[in-house]
Amino acid sequence: MNRHDLKTISEQMKTKHGQFKQKVCVCCGAGCLSSGSEAVLKKLQEEVKLKGKENEIEVVPSGCMGPCNKGPLVKVNPGQTIYQQVEGEKVSVIVDEHLIADRPIEKMVLFSDTREKPFINSQEDPFYKKQHKIVLADCGDVNPESLEDYVFYGGYQALDKVLFQMSSEDVIAEIKHSRLRGRGGAGFPTGIKWETVYKYVADQKYVICNGDEGDPGAFMDRSVLEGNPHRVLEGMAIAGYAVGASKGYVYIRGEYPLAIKRFELAIKQAKKIGLLGANILGSAFSFDVEIRIGAGAFVCGEETALIASIEGQRGTPRPRPPFPAESGLWGKPTLINNVETFSSIVPIIACSGEWYSEIGTTKSSGTKVFALAGKINISGLIEVPMGTSLREIIFDIGGGIPGDKAFKAAQTGGPSGGCIPAEHLDTKVDYESLVALGSIMGSGGLIVMDETSDMVDVARFFMEFCMDESCGKCVPCRVGTKMMFDLLTKICQRKALPMDLERLEELAVFVKETSLCGLGMSAPNPLLSTLRYFRNEYEDYVNKSQALAGTR
Amino acid sequence: MPKISVKIDDKDLEVEVGTTVLDVCRANDIDIPTMCHLKGLVDVGACRLCLVEVEGTSKLLPSCTTKVQANQVIHTQTDKLKKYRRMITELFFAERNHVCSVCIANGNCELQDLGYKVGMENVRFPYLFQNCEVDSSHSKFVMDHNRCIMCTRCVRVCSDVEGAHNWGIMNRGYQVRIIADFNVPWGDSTTCTYCGKCVDVCPTGALWNKDATQGSMQKYPQAVSDLVEKREMKS
Repeated sequence: MNRHDLKTISEQMKTKHGQFKQKVCVCCGAGCLSSGSEAVLKKLQEEVKLKGKENEIEVVPSGCMGPCNKGPLVKVNPGQTIYQQVEGEKVSVIVDEHLIADRPIEKMVLFSDTREKPFINSQEDPFYKKQHKIVLADCGDVNPESLEDYVFYGGYQALDKVLFQMSSEDVIAEIKHSRLRGRGGAGFPTGIKWETVYKYVADQKYVICNGDEGDPGAFMDRSVLEGNPHRVLEGMAIAGYAVGASKGYVYIRGEYPLAIKRFELAIKQAKKIGLLGANILGSAFSFDVEIRIGAGAFVCGEETALIASIEGQRGTPRPRPPFPAESGLWGKPTLINNVETFSSIVPIIACSGEWYSEIGTTKSSGTKVFALAGKINISGLIEVPMGTSLREIIFDIGGGIPGDKAFKAAQTGGPSGGCIPAEHLDTKVDYESLVALGSIMGSGGLIVMDETSDMVDVARFFMEFCMDESCGKCVPCRVGTKMMFDLLTKICQRKALPMDLERLEELAVFVKETSLCGLGMSAPNPLLSTLRYFRNEYEDYVNKSQALAGTR
Repeated sequence: MPKISVKIDDKDLEVEVGTTVLDVCRANDIDIPTMCHLKGLVDVGACRLCLVEVEGTSKLLPSCTTKVQANQVIHTQTDKLKKYRRMITELFFAERNHVCSVCIANGNCELQDLGYKVGMENVRFPYLFQNCEVDSSHSKFVMDHNRCIMCTRCVRVCSDVEGAHNWGIMNRGYQVRIIADFNVPWGDSTTCTYCGKCVDVCPTGALWNKDATQGSMQKYPQAVSDLVEKREMKS
């Protein structure tokens, strides 16, 4: 395969898609699949065929469209009309009314149950209007199981551009210019990381994509891998070219079988036509990618533990430095980025670093994907420019709290993050502002809690998670998380004394400062942030314990 | 080797490039407690006792794996570090069942020494009282998991020095355990060479000779350090 063939595929697809008057996308992301979208897809295809319209109407599976709790979702293009909770008879109604008679059905479209005046064009709905989709741009339109479809949406053009018009230095300069920061959570500047790996001289370098998303309530990377796997693959190949690596690994957690299946397929398709392998598109660049499947350890999301796991060792972290950029997989310079980071590469190369850097805030450019979950009306996947306030995310996009309950806190960053209370709802979300509030950006999980949530119990839940997931290598994390969990349990059982609260705080700061890796260093965050904003709840428990003690 | 200057606890020192902070300190009579470190074995930075403060770095760094850099100013004995070292020691004692008075290593135990060194007068955290196994299936040695602090010296000496790979690790968090082969009784291990290096490097009463009685067990970790040094000189 050479550059010309890529063009041919793109043109063939244009002709193919041009034949159809309408394209119907059925969301086949994990959320919609679990509510039965596969049957909907099949039924739609059958109905269209039954009506003899299979040459006019194309029915395809797609990735996540966003409002996951409204699934199964069906999108009709042109017009971007999305139908929610499509099942049974609704399929025939969509075919007869919308597809054939061209009369969109207002009472069945997205949010028709909650909005007085729902939007026929879904993109006009506040849920979509406030979003800015870059990583998820084609997710929900492109067929994740078709390379040709991806090429039709401009896929592999960025790789082509990089291979034939740019040097490694050019690519790195462009990424640096974009000011993209690592989307795994810590926010290290991606361009600088790439440059560091590029500068080390070695006979072999590696690129690793970290898809071991393990935070409770987070499903961003999953949706990207399931919804647009080729985008990640292309980003990795570009990274390989930039840093001088010929081999890549994708580490996907074993709990994501669909993501693994689709990514495997993407690799197979790309290899078959020479978009992976030796001399890609006829250039001198060779790059190969393999999947490694995680076996259920949260700590393997930590880069050094992940590398140990790929090497076939016990997945435990090791002290840094040396950083993987210097000595990573099998001691070789290794670039390790998160799924979302790799997904951001293609648009930066395709448009420009300048364009990307103008989105978001001065310190955090671009967009961030969040997984909305918890006590929120619309739970699902969203992408907003950095600097969007929590209020906009939760109330304008997410539709607020169900049952008119009061908002209490938003938990970001999973077990490594913290709880942000109502008084900070207007904080503009970026890496620095969340750290200042005692939380972190994290990979993008956002759990909303209402007035009924018990914050001590929330802290206890996350502490239990960290205790279970601690690898057991270093003492502070191994024993400290267990001690803190026991103390939190004691508080929840109303058996704690003021002294226990003191011990808890002492341990939290100690574990944060002395642990070996990010898991231990951040494990006390949910506890510390709830202590900071909801201390009264802890004190209430302790006071009640003492009152109870008097009656015992 | 080129030399660089560093300042550790107000001492100006000239040291070789590539030396670890711990080695510099040990060579200059600066006392830093350690548990997982043993000269001759690969350092893992797990016990966190040797953490030091480096000016300009917000994180505490393990001195065993951190190499000195030119003009660094390092503090090894701050109040914070002393407090954390005492807390780590307390957590060691609270994690499993370290009952010195009936321990074969009583009087010859690095953990016991550590307790005295960091001034641990009592353990302020609740004991976990984990119910751990005592594996006496081996004909020569005993593994008492109650006394194990997971320093993993045994694992490293077995794989890196003896080359037998008898010891491994299983489970996560506080339930983590040292295992022989794929979790078989030590006596059934097909890899153990009966060399006893793991027993010699074990800092506590977790690994001991079968004929040992209370307080009688002597360990010789230095023997392994010397062995490694001799091998290195030879090669």
